[in-house]
Amino acid sequence: MNAIATEELRKSYGDLTALAGLTLDVPAGELFGLLGPNGAGKSTTIRILTGQLRPDAGTASVLDVDPVDDPVGVRERVGILPEQESPPSFMTPREYFDFVGSVRDLDAETVTDRVETWADRLSYAAKLDTMTTDLSRGQQQKVMITAAFLHDPDLVFIDEPLVNLDPIVQETVKRHLRDYRDAGNTVFLSTHDIDVAAELCDRVGIVREGSLVTTRRPADLGEDRLLDVFLREVGGGDADAGGSGGA
Amino acid sequence: MSHDRAVLAAMFREEWRLHSRLFGGRRFAAFPVFVALVGGVTAWALASTGAGTGTVVAGVHVLVLLFGLQTGSVGLVGRDAMRGLLDDTTLVVFSAHTLPLRQRRLLGLFLLKDVVYYAVLLLLPLAVAFAPLLALAALPLLWVTLLWTFGLGLCATVAVVALATRGRPGKLLAALGVCAVVAGWLLGLPVVAATPYAVFLAPGLDTAVAAAVPPLALLALAAVTYDPEHEPPARTAANAYRAWRRRVPAWDDPVFVKTMLDVSRSAGGYWKVLLSAGVLFVVSAFLVSLAESLVGLRVLPGVAFGSILGLTAFTTYNWLTQFEDATTYATLPVDTAAVFDAKRRAFAVLGLPTGIACYAVAVLWQGASPLDALAGLALCVGLQAYLFGLTVALAGFQPNEFLFDTVLFALFTLAVAVPLVPVLVVGFVAAPLTAPWALGLVAVGLALAGIGHVLYGRAVPRWRERYRA
Repeated sequence: MNAIATEELRKSYGDLTALAGLTLDVPAGELFGLLGPNGAGKSTTIRILTGQLRPDAGTASVLDVDPVDDPVGVRERVGILPEQESPPSFMTPREYFDFVGSVRDLDAETVTDRVETWADRLSYAAKLDTMTTDLSRGQQQKVMITAAFLHDPDLVFIDEPLVNLDPIVQETVKRHLRDYRDAGNTVFLSTHDIDVAAELCDRVGIVREGSLVTTRRPADLGEDRLLDVFLREVGGGDADAGGSGGA
Repeated sequence: MSHDRAVLAAMFREEWRLHSRLFGGRRFAAFPVFVALVGGVTAWALASTGAGTGTVVAGVHVLVLLFGLQTGSVGLVGRDAMRGLLDDTTLVVFSAHTLPLRQRRLLGLFLLKDVVYYAVLLLLPLAVAFAPLLALAALPLLWVTLLWTFGLGLCATVAVVALATRGRPGKLLAALGVCAVVAGWLLGLPVVAATPYAVFLAPGLDTAVAAAVPPLALLALAAVTYDPEHEPPARTAANAYRAWRRRVPAWDDPVFVKTMLDVSRSAGGYWKVLLSAGVLFVVSAFLVSLAESLVGLRVLPGVAFGSILGLTAFTTYNWLTQFEDATTYATLPVDTAAVFDAKRRAFAVLGLPTGIACYAVAVLWQGASPLDALAGLALCVGLQAYLFGLTVALAGFQPNEFLFDTVLFALFTLAVAVPLVPVLVVGFVAAPLTAPWALGLVAVGLALAGIGHVLYGRAVPRWRERYRA
């Protein structure tokens, strides 16, 4: 069963084509990575799949919900970690989590328990009552990670999950993502960090100029490194005659 | 020096692109024309109804001073605050962290850019607007003194911001300075003689020197006291979210609670809503006294104050939407309509009572008759509801930005003037108020509330689609 399915998704911003017919499937329980250079259409894909943007053409399904027709319904089911979003300036993390819990119909006790777990896991318990505007970028990222997982969703969309985090916390987040996938959940991870994609993902889709050009399983690549595949496909290196086989 | 030129050029380009991106190049370019037209009509109308050219010229200097005070704060409030206003926009003025440029110098260039920019785009058309009232030869002098006044406001804000970087002693000194100026004015000291307005009244070397001292002194004070390394301490707060939810359990509205927290926690707290209403209260009082002196009859204070205080809806809605934009809830299962509903609730809790409280003070102070008070109350509430719906319809979540979009601003001005002007005229000439007139005005208030409701209802689905496009 597919957690995510898209067919010929297209989106333009004026003269700029962000998606030029993106088709992909992500089975439930997979840690899928969407890899591509800057401006390849990764963030636009996430925004369409989570109902934030309306595509110009094509269809999409997320956990059997159409994000175009029911954007709020999709966001009820999934967690979202955007790349650059910060938590609201005039709330403390504790208040923000209460707010997110209210929006997601979680009871106060559940919120409190989960927040304590996450604050300990990501080492920011001492900052729970500090205004988020006064937190560092890394601490704000920890708050946003917690918010994305607060309702224990079946699927999370994550845009560059490890930015601004120190190496210890990065390892913690990676471990959590694997555990989360092992529990049967799905992760859709957007990144341009090839090492992160190779290390974490079950399967990686490489996107170029708004189209999916190949999908590969890093574990099956053998001598051929994901970096080499990426450079061939996006035309950034010694492009040899390698084909674009799917996995 | 070559760096300064490059930085200044980049800042000018940035300012133009920022505004033209937000509002469209042509619309923004038309703004000076609009300012000249509206300013000209307003000045002519005020002067021809007996306010006197001198009063109008003095008034425009006060307005420009306030604008300078406000402008000075924008570029200096820090990147986070700018982000709240302009999303992820990062301005050249904040590039000292990454480029070999001194923050002090960048701030100086930023202020210089603002002075030149507003001198051409705003103050020049404002001076031209006085062509019907003043001799053509006086217009260049008016432009200079308006620019000078704008600079005075700018320098005052910069000095206060610079003092604030020195902690509590600096803030105390700034407060003492403000109090001293206000006290001097109240005690009848010749404060105005040390302003550019005095130069307009009596051009000469002595008035020019007197008017040059305050901005230069403020600028010197800012240069000496500004600490570019200043970082305010991290703020902490007890959890107020759950307490707020308990206060209005029936609504079960997280976005409403967040909105109230945003307003209460941001600078000025709830007081800033009251302060905005207070400014309109003063304007109402001024207009009522002016009308009474012109018409020679007792104005209906309930109708007059109620109508003008209805405008508080715009400033309140501005505060309610100041700290977020359409993307704030993009990652959460919150529909755009729910966000607008939350704003409407916050407006009902914060905006309506503030407007009504100011109105009640005015009614008690002016001794309005029961019929007049009732009609004014209906107009106050009706106009607030109308303006709320109108602002949502025209500006969505960005009421502070659309003021610079010439087309939208013209539409807004017209849509406000159509109901407000006739009602004000009635308030100025229909005393003593009879029961049929009072009932008619109550009906107008109810109708305006209804129109506001319809405007709101039609606007929300439109904005929902636009924010997803």
